[in-house]
Order: sequence, then structure tokens, then C-alpha cells
Amino acid sequence: MNWRQESVLVTGATGFIGGRVCERLWQAGVPQVRALVRSTHKAARIARLPIELVAGDLMQPETLRQAIGNAKIVIHCGLGNAGAIVRGTENMLAAAREAGVKRFVHVSTAAVYGITPPPGSETEDTPIRKTGDAYCDNKAAAERVVLRYGHRGLPVSILRPSIVWGPYSAWSTRLMDDLRTRRVAYIDDGRGACNTTHVDNLIDAMFLTMENGRALNQVFFITDGETITWGDFIRAHARMINPELIIGGVSREEIDRALPKTVGMLAGSIKATARVARSKEFRHILMQIPATEAVMKRAWGWVTSLPPEKRDRLRARFGVQRPPAAHKNGKYIPDPVTVATQSTTVFFSIAKARRELGYEPRIKFREGMQMVEQWLRYSAYLD
Amino acid sequence: MKMPLRLAILGCGAITRGEHVPAVSDHPDVQLIALVDSDLSRAQSLIDRRGLSCQAVADYRELLGRVDAVINALPNHLHDAVNRDSLLAGVHVLCEKPLAISAAEARACTELAAQRKLILAVGMNRRFFESRSLLALAMREGLLGTVREYDFQYGGAFDWRSASGFYFDRAKAGGGALVDFGVHMIDSVIDWFGPITAFDYQDDDWGSGIEANAILDVRHEGQLGEIKGRLRISRTFALKNRLLVHGTQADAEVAVHNPDVVVLHRTVGGKPLSETLRHENAESGSSYRRQLDNFIHSIVNGTNPEVDGWQAVRVMELIENCYAHKRRIPEPWAENAVERCEARV
Repeated sequence: MNWRQESVLVTGATGFIGGRVCERLWQAGVPQVRALVRSTHKAARIARLPIELVAGDLMQPETLRQAIGNAKIVIHCGLGNAGAIVRGTENMLAAAREAGVKRFVHVSTAAVYGITPPPGSETEDTPIRKTGDAYCDNKAAAERVVLRYGHRGLPVSILRPSIVWGPYSAWSTRLMDDLRTRRVAYIDDGRGACNTTHVDNLIDAMFLTMENGRALNQVFFITDGETITWGDFIRAHARMINPELIIGGVSREEIDRALPKTVGMLAGSIKATARVARSKEFRHILMQIPATEAVMKRAWGWVTSLPPEKRDRLRARFGVQRPPAAHKNGKYIPDPVTVATQSTTVFFSIAKARRELGYEPRIKFREGMQMVEQWLRYSAYLD
Repeated sequence: MKMPLRLAILGCGAITRGEHVPAVSDHPDVQLIALVDSDLSRAQSLIDRRGLSCQAVADYRELLGRVDAVINALPNHLHDAVNRDSLLAGVHVLCEKPLAISAAEARACTELAAQRKLILAVGMNRRFFESRSLLALAMREGLLGTVREYDFQYGGAFDWRSASGFYFDRAKAGGGALVDFGVHMIDSVIDWFGPITAFDYQDDDWGSGIEANAILDVRHEGQLGEIKGRLRISRTFALKNRLLVHGTQADAEVAVHNPDVVVLHRTVGGKPLSETLRHENAESGSSYRRQLDNFIHSIVNGTNPEVDGWQAVRVMELIENCYAHKRRIPEPWAENAVERCEARV
């Protein structure tokens, strides 16, 4: 199929991956790019493009029928909250089937194997087990729904990227913020597998699935195919800061010993949050933003004030949040989700994507990181 | 003019909810007659929530014989037609910025107000912050030495929850970041540093006309002499969100989110020092309240408002010139990755 001549609907278009997909589709000469937009106020990046912004909500099926219009390809990057992952995906699949789309590309995640994928999950045929994490389990459930539609005739493909990075990625912006505030440590010498997936490599893979019949009903891991560790990833960012930051290390044993302390840290952070909330500056900032944002902040304050068991129940319901980090004996102890994310030893294999799709990652780590640095400078994350 | 002033607010979006209603609701010289919104339930729910004793009206034209003045807080593309209708009906207008989406419309509207001898004020609320007079005073009195250049940045992830979502429609908004917050910045720098005599403009619009980032380099030639400045606006990421004015003896800083003070930075005895300037008798109330006071004062006394239509025309003319002569901000990270066979690089 020559996808360059088709109309394409992109979900999750106001997000990091979806936004870049819209740019690349337009650059590729696609005659009509339709970007599904639920939160209009987040559309600043894609509103620059001469594409169509169509209002719709993955949780409201009637809006999707209208949004899909004459699109013959759907690239589904949409996420929503954890509860919307499965239902929203099913709603989009149903609308796509009704509209007779020729390709449905589902952007899943390697995290279907958990935040710390266990050894043995290197290839796509590894059975998926429940992880107990709402985000991971819901993304796995969404894959099953996609494949069910695929077996009933909708031409679907599933891509499982891992750490999707590049300009605009929160992996880089959050890391820069953390580096600046000295909230970064090499966990176990930074040996964890990072499985970088440059956003443009991922989009190359999307385009390949759209033109390749062998992609139908198939699942593909997509990474940069390099054995980049978290140490490499963090160090590459630290080097951008002048003078280069020296980052300490922390071992798993030290993290485990510090864990009981995190409860105390949480109490401390609640007190600090309350102090900030009472401050004049904070109230001034609140005055500058619409009421809904203020409500969200209040809700976050409420969540952090809950007892741990209630908080965990909410976490399971709404997906991964970042619990607080801690300091022990002058050492920075990263938060548990960061520890889990950076602790895998698994490098996912892209052999299947290479073999079946002809996928070859074009953006190498060094070149990609140079572009990230350029973008970070442009966007004022770096002086 | 009989007091209290009979007033209606047109448009019940975010700015009306957050700023105009609080400024108006307990004003001793104002009788709020109606909130107007084509979505009547939006107007009614705002009235109920705030406990206001005014009417909810769907069509502003119903009100034109019954009010002395309106605050026009409708989406940008509706400003001009509604302003004209109001002025033709003998009603004074305080219009949210931008006055219109073209300089020609803004000019015609301003001329109409002059012919009818009515007040047409433009909602540039930043003019009513204390920093406006403090910085002017500091420069005039030589606290900075000779002023040669400045850097003005405002940016953050766009999060303005407009009720109508018109911000990302070129025909309704008239442009992107430059028309939105850029209007305030341009208005302020002309007010402080004098007329702009040269400019160079870049933005990141790929073809829809809704730029998220804009960089405007300007030269002023006014009473303070020649001053160069850079204005940078972003809707996608946080910038320094301050104006920094460089003088030969000191720098002056005005923070966007703390606009009632000016901080002077200088080196004394080799040590960097800073001091905060603030008015001993600062005016109370929000900038929107002070803006409303100025509007009422102009109506009562027949004086020019702080920001009249001609000042808005001047800003709109510059913005139109910027769009007409724009260059694209280079984004090598977005272009390097594109395949050779891909068409529109």
C-alpha cells in the first residue's frame, strides 16, 4: 500500500510521539493528516502544522466516527489514563473497522513485560504475565484487543518501543531537571539496559508496517538496536551541562536499606508541600492558571496525603506515578519507579522487525543525542 | 454619565471567569446588568456560581439600549464586529486584546469611536502593574545608566483552557504566540523604550499560521536613544519569563509573574548586589480592577484611556509586518531525520 497517498488519522497527537508522527506524515507528503485532539489546550506543537485538528475523545465512540472521516490509516498513539487504555483502544478499533481502514498501527510498549522486564523477555513470542502494574497490564490487555480485531479482519500491526526518546521527550527534559537539582544517581553503576528507541526510528518502523503485508497481525519490538545502558543515557545528558556534572552511584543494597526511610521522607515532603501551598508565591502562581489546574494540584496534594495502602490502590487504578525519592548518608536514593525502570538487564531483540519489515534504525545514539542537545538548547533547558 | 455605570460582559470564557467578573462584581461604581454568552447555560452557571444578580443573555444586541458600557471578552475574531455594533449603539467599549485581528479593522474601529465620542479602551492589563511606572522611573532617573539593550522572554507549555478553543484556528485567533502574549510584550516595550523603527522576526509556523514559538528582534528610537531588544515567546516550553534591561550602571529585571516590583542588579566594590524597587503606596486590587477603574475614569471625565485604540493599531501594524516578513526558525532536529524521498522537508 502506498500510504503516502492516503489520509491518516493520528491519535495521541498532542503527545510527544503523536506530535512527531504528525510532523513526519506531513513531511512525507501525506495529503491529509488528521490529528485527534481531546485537550485543545495541549495542541500548541501540532497547531503549527498545516494539518487538520479534529476534536474527539477515545472514550466517546460517536466522536471517533466523525474524527476518522475519510482516513484509511489509523496510527494509534493515544493513551489517556490507565482506565482508558483498553476501552479507548477498543473504541478506536471499532470506529476503524466501521470506516474500513486499510491499516491500524497500534503503538504499544515493551513494558507489557513490566517496568523491569525479566530475563527471557527478549523476543516478541515471550508469553505476557500479569505484572500488577496498571499501566503495564492495561497496555498488555489493549494488545489482546487489537489482535482480536486483527483476527476478525482489521489489518492491524503492533509496535512495542521501549524508552522512546528524542527532541520533546520527557525522558530528556525530566532528566535535565533532575540533573540540575542533583536528583540523579547511577544505579548499580548504571548497568541497566536502557533500550533507547529514537522517536524517528519508531516512526520509520510505523511507516514500514504501513507498506508491508508481512506486518499484518504481527507484534514487533522496536528499539535503536544498540546496547545503550542507563549510565550511557544519563552521562550523555550530564555532558551537556558545563561544567559536566559528577554523578554519584548507588547500589541496590543501599537502595534496599534506604527504603523504609522513604515513608519518613514522604511525611517530610507532605510538610514541604503544605509549606509551599501556603506560600505567597504559590498562591500567586495559582492565580495565573485556570481553575481546573488548581483543582488538579489540590487533588495531587490529597493523593500524597493518603495512607500508603490507599495510595497504592489509587496507583494500581490509575497507573504509574513517581513516588518520592530520598537521601541517605548524603547519597541520593532514586524513587522506586526510577529504580525499577533502570534495573532491567534485558535488551529487546529487533531481529524480527529487521527480518520481516526491513527495519534498520537510522538514528544512532550519538547523532540522536546531538539533536536532543540542539533541541534542549533551543528550548531553554540548557543555557 | 449617571453612576453606577450599567455594564455587560460579553463572553464567559476563561478570562471573564478568572478576571473580569472578580474585578466588576463588587465595584461600587458598576452595576452589572448581564453576562452574555451564545451558550446561555455557561453565562447562567457563572452567575449562579458567583451569586451575581444580573441577567444571562445569549445575544448582546438585546442589551445595547440598556447598558452604558461593555467589556468585550469574546474570541478574537468577534471583537471587531461586536465593538462596532456597540459603538454604533452609543456604548463605551473595553475590548480584550487584540482589538481586532487586523490593523485595518482596529483602525476603522478606533476612528468610529472617535467620531462617536465614545471611549474605546483596549485590555492590556499589564500596563496596570506597578513595574510599568517603576521601570520607567528608574530609567528616567538614570538608575541604570545608559540603557542599550534588553531581553524579554515569556514561555510555558500552553495551558489556557479557552471555552471555545479558538486559539488554534487561524481565522479566529489571527495568529499564534505573537498575537496572543506577544501583543502584551510589544505594547509594553513600546511604552517603555519608544517607537520601534526596525525589526527582524522568526517563528516556527510550518504552514497553519499558528506559531508556537516566536523570536522578534527590534530597535527602538525614542527619548532614551537607540535601544535594541529581543522578545522571545513560547507556547511549548518554559522560558525565563522576565524582562532584563541592560544599562551601563545596572540591570533591571521585571518578572512576568511578579510584575509589581523591579529588581536592580549592579556590581558594587566587585560584589554583585541587587535591590528591589516597589512603590510605598502601591495601588490595591488586581491589574484588571485597575484597568476597569481607568476605563470608568475615562468615561466619566471624557479623557483618553491608558491604552486607546491607536496604541493597539500600532501594535497590530507591527505584528502584521512581522507575519509578512517572517523567517522560519531553524529546527534541524526535525529536518535531519527525514528520509531523502520524503517530500516536504
